[in-house]
Amino acid sequence: MIGRALKSLILHSASLILLLGAWEAVCRAGMVSPHLLPAPSAIFLRLLVQLADPAFLIHLGQTVLRIAVGLALATAIGVGVGLAASRNRLIGRLLEPLVRVLAPIPKIALYPALILMLGFDHASKIALIVADAVFPILLATYHGARMVEPKLIWSARAAGASERQCTFTIVLPAALPSIYTGLRIALLIACVVVFLAEMISSSDGLGHLLIRAARSFRTLDMFVPLLAVSLLGLALNGLATLAGRRLLRGFAL
Amino acid sequence: MIAIEGLSKTFETSGGEPHLALDGISIDIPKGQFLSILGPSGCGKSTLLYIVGGFVPASAGRIRVDGRAIAGPGPDRGPVFQEFALFPWKTVRGNVLYGLLQQGVPRDQAERRVSELLQMVHLSRYADFYPKELSGGMKQRVAIARTLAYDPAILLMDEPFGALDAHTRTKLQNELLSIWERDRKTVLFVTHSVEEAVYLSDRVMVMTPSPGRQKAVFDIDLPRPRIRAELLLNRRYQEYLIAIERLVQDGGEDEA
Ligand SMILES: Nc1ncnc2c1ncn2[C@@H]1O[C@H](COP(=O)(O)OP(=O)(O)O)[C@@H](O)[C@H]1O
Ligand SMILES: [Mg+2]
Repeated sequence: MIGRALKSLILHSASLILLLGAWEAVCRAGMVSPHLLPAPSAIFLRLLVQLADPAFLIHLGQTVLRIAVGLALATAIGVGVGLAASRNRLIGRLLEPLVRVLAPIPKIALYPALILMLGFDHASKIALIVADAVFPILLATYHGARMVEPKLIWSARAAGASERQCTFTIVLPAALPSIYTGLRIALLIACVVVFLAEMISSSDGLGHLLIRAARSFRTLDMFVPLLAVSLLGLALNGLATLAGRRLLRGFAL
Repeated sequence: MIAIEGLSKTFETSGGEPHLALDGISIDIPKGQFLSILGPSGCGKSTLLYIVGGFVPASAGRIRVDGRAIAGPGPDRGPVFQEFALFPWKTVRGNVLYGLLQQGVPRDQAERRVSELLQMVHLSRYADFYPKELSGGMKQRVAIARTLAYDPAILLMDEPFGALDAHTRTKLQNELLSIWERDRKTVLFVTHSVEEAVYLSDRVMVMTPSPGRQKAVFDIDLPRPRIRAELLLNRRYQEYLIAIERLVQDGGEDEA
């Protein structure tokens, strides 16, 4: 049992270890200046030191807060609108062209306008996360809901459920596997977008730390927020996996 | 009683050609009768059942249940599908509970009823299992219990045992018969097994290949309760089998 788990862990991290090993070797061999590319070991150590610094933790916390609120809003809107569009032909028809036109827009281009409207603080960044993360959730919900086996709905309707009750007691839970996939994509998007927004204009957050370090040519400190956001993504992904295992227990996955 | 009058169904297909699936079905099914619908694959058996269930609209004709035209699905007509169609996110208990809670039965009362139903279909030990953890026969038992839970007067069964192995099928046929003999619901039972139709039914309707029309209706005059081992030697049983088998055979090729 333990042998198998260990083997799977090693296999899982093999590519990562190889990459880090090569990177470390290149740096150790003096092939690049540490001012251009610091060694991964140095970045890890620096991150560990920073994690003990309350100032760094506040920056990290701001980023996490924005991701969490942004994703929660994107989920509420995406699932709500996706369900409505899939169950109501009129709503679906009205929304389809809107989604087609809005989805491909690079939302980061809206960011200057969002700052003007919502200010430099949380609101503009959360709005940007929502604008970017809502589409994968909405589309996954819509298509998941459209694909629900009609016999599940018929079984519920025969048992006395109204169409509206079916939306919440049958279509929504039946679409969960698809919604969950949309959420995982939205999670990654949120990590990327919040970082970008904080780089463009912010007085806090991981993205802001990177810009601040870049302005004073502290290369090592530039890589620390990158590592931090990467690990943050990893942790959120792990949380999502745990939640998924619970939420999707009955589905054959 | 169910009165079906001149029922036809035309599907719009992606090919553009409208497809006539059912053509002029007319039959009365008295209350408490077990009627089997027999026919080759693609002759519209499922479609007929879906229309009676109110899941699919008819193109022409009308259906009345106890004198009233049907308008959509209702708890007086409970479906059981070949593919089980259980709610995968609910446990066995949750699946059977669903209809009772929809009917507004108080929770504790509903829970008690679910226990009884699960006992009846021999699944008490599996109440907390998810459908994916059950065999095909067990899944179909859950589906039957889920439908019986809200006590429909009419059961609409679409090849319910078609996906099961021979042994499980026989077992479930016997269980269905003993349940039916207890509360005598009206049953519309779709099958393409002549043997199954004759064994279970009061009446068998044989359909033509696509488009589905009524070819013949047989009254199955065999004693109940039916015991398979005794029927096998019953002369009349054998004659029903042969007559219906012949009729089904000269229907031409299966569409499947
Ligand atoms: N939703 C649909 N759209 C178009 N054609 C359909 C649809 N459902 C069934 N049909 C057609 O109607 C005919 C009868 O189908 P069905 O009722 O499933 O037959 P059976 O249950 O007897 O095998 C078939 O030819 C099938 O292709
Ligand atoms: Mg069928």
